[in-house]
Amino acid sequence: MIGEAALTEALDTLRHSFRAWLSAEAPQDWRATCTTHDGFLATQRAWFAKLAAGGYAVPHWPAEWPGGGRSLAEQKVIYEELARADTPRLLLSFMSTYHAASTLLEWGSAEQQARYLPRILEGEIWCQGFSEPNAGSDLANVRTRAERRGDVYVVSGQKLWSTMGQFADMCLLLVRTSSEGAKQAGLTYLLLDLKAPGVTARPIHQIHGDEEFAELFLDEVEVPVANRLGAEGQGWAVAQSTLSSERGLTLLELSARMRGALWRIADLIHNGGRGDDVGLLRDFGRLATKIDATCALADQFLANRIAGEERVGDASLVKLSYSRTLRDFTAFGLRLGGLRSQYHDPIVYGGGMETGNWMADFMNSYAWTIAGGSDEVQRNIIAERLLGMPREPRTWTLEPSA
Amino acid sequence: MSMTRAELQDAARGAFGGDELAVDRWDRVVEMGWLTMTVPEAQGGLGLGREAAGVIHSEMGRTVVPDPAIAQALVIEALSAADAVPDRDDLLARAMGGEVMTASLSLGDALDCVPDADRASHVLSVTAERIALLPLAAATITPRATWDTTRRLFDVVPGTGGITLAEGPAAATLAERLQQTLLLALAADALGGAAAILERTIAYLEMRQQFGRPLALFQALKHRVADMKTWLSAAEALFWSRTTDPAATLAEIGALKAHACTVYCAIAEDAVQLHGGIGLTMEYYCHLFLKRAMLDAVLGSDADYWEERAGRRALRATG
Repeated sequence: MIGEAALTEALDTLRHSFRAWLSAEAPQDWRATCTTHDGFLATQRAWFAKLAAGGYAVPHWPAEWPGGGRSLAEQKVIYEELARADTPRLLLSFMSTYHAASTLLEWGSAEQQARYLPRILEGEIWCQGFSEPNAGSDLANVRTRAERRGDVYVVSGQKLWSTMGQFADMCLLLVRTSSEGAKQAGLTYLLLDLKAPGVTARPIHQIHGDEEFAELFLDEVEVPVANRLGAEGQGWAVAQSTLSSERGLTLLELSARMRGALWRIADLIHNGGRGDDVGLLRDFGRLATKIDATCALADQFLANRIAGEERVGDASLVKLSYSRTLRDFTAFGLRLGGLRSQYHDPIVYGGGMETGNWMADFMNSYAWTIAGGSDEVQRNIIAERLLGMPREPRTWTLEPSA
Repeated sequence: MSMTRAELQDAARGAFGGDELAVDRWDRVVEMGWLTMTVPEAQGGLGLGREAAGVIHSEMGRTVVPDPAIAQALVIEALSAADAVPDRDDLLARAMGGEVMTASLSLGDALDCVPDADRASHVLSVTAERIALLPLAAATITPRATWDTTRRLFDVVPGTGGITLAEGPAAATLAERLQQTLLLALAADALGGAAAILERTIAYLEMRQQFGRPLALFQALKHRVADMKTWLSAAEALFWSRTTDPAATLAEIGALKAHACTVYCAIAEDAVQLHGGIGLTMEYYCHLFLKRAMLDAVLGSDADYWEERAGRRALRATG
């Protein structure tokens, strides 16, 4: 078909021009500069600024924003080329350009969009304040209180697992404005300026010693009513759109990066002189095929989405397949790394699973089996939504704590 | 493909019924024209590609049909490629018309694992030097009782004679293509069987009550099913991507076959467990799938062989 040929040609053109752009602009030395917090922050900010200036930072935004308006097929090309060029992943601005932006685009007023979206393009960092000590997977259980006093909400409580929260400027905040009726009905969604008085951000040292998450302590923090997204009591619905923000393509990028990182394993086999170890070769072949299958699944997911044939639960299949394969991948590297992997090196931030520091990568793979909906939550979704198995009866009621 | 994958799948599923398992449907396979599927239109075929063949073999795997369709597909592909053989058109027409001509599913030099040799007129002999169609009239045919009763396998010692279809370098090229065809068909059979036994397992869990509620409500069981569905979906995606990739290598297709069969075995094994006592009997369907999964896993060389090749390939490609 003529239409298809033209489309393929347009995608090829994009691929070649972006590849050329990357060969001139992609940071080369980031593995060396990202071994400290300051180096990581500087590299991330500089790389984001470059991508934004080139028009490649927010291809998923609508066309009226600079760099936006790319089709899913074009976004895929961009992700594939980013992975191919082994660029640092945009960890620092991920929450801003995806979660914050998609929520603002869906729920924000024209004024809110005009105020915040350009700031995101300029590099403002956002984090998410949803989880709490007693509200992880069970988000309806949020207890951080917000009380309206005139033009402001006064917020007190504690938030947990805010990715990059210690570096962020703004926070997507889910709070409780009422304890009447259904738990979901009492939630409200606010945009919190983290520089406001009463906010304390404390980094959490993760299992690998790095600080990717923070906890936020909110003590009588005043948030203007103008910073509310949606109506009071509509927070649950707004939060759903944050959670369902475009992440399918992220998994496409991550799968492609995992496949691209197989050379690290090949290096270990070569360097260990184990190129003729048949057992090891079998395990490597099995892993490579499993990664190929995960990539094929992510590709198919995207094709179905483009064709409007995505089913509820398909994204969970991709995420579960990715998280389990990533665990296998990093565990294999750890096994091959032997004693060397047990020695502690400075961690390369922003490299995803490609840091080459196998112990850190292995431990970090838990971020994918726990965060963004744990593997167990994904399994429930697959069983109940995709396969139509019965939902667990909700007979258990928890008394609100004093 | 002039017919979409979904359309062909619907047609095949309709033709095979679905509830009845391990039933001979050779006449139906012939009548639907599926033996002509990959043959070029100029030779009287439908001119559809590997993707279409994948749909049909997958549907046969779903109902674990006992027919020698995979072996026949190998013969038909070899005949279709043998342009210089004088009797080719006649032999090809007979093979597409349902006259059983068979081939080894191990594709080794010995003619073992030959389905339905007792009702076949010819057997295909494949070596890297020569590919030939041998008459079975003067052959010694020994049945092998296999655990998988959905296939009827024989050892064949051919008599003399036969028609050479390819020799020398042409034979080596064709032999590799036939190996790819076999591996894709076995992978399709495995994925079709895995999907079918998974669906049946879910239906069983929804129907069977224990402790006053359906088994399907127990999270421990749901999570196992969700894992199986995830691995199956990824393997299916890999299957369609490699089937439609003309540049896919033998090593890649072998790795796909190994992966598909590993997934099939895992799902068939879990199905026995999830069915409980009834899964352990000959009276229920679980064992049919489990035994076929185990046989598929070793036909066309096993996972150890293909995974090692895939590993060597990955080492070369990335090292």
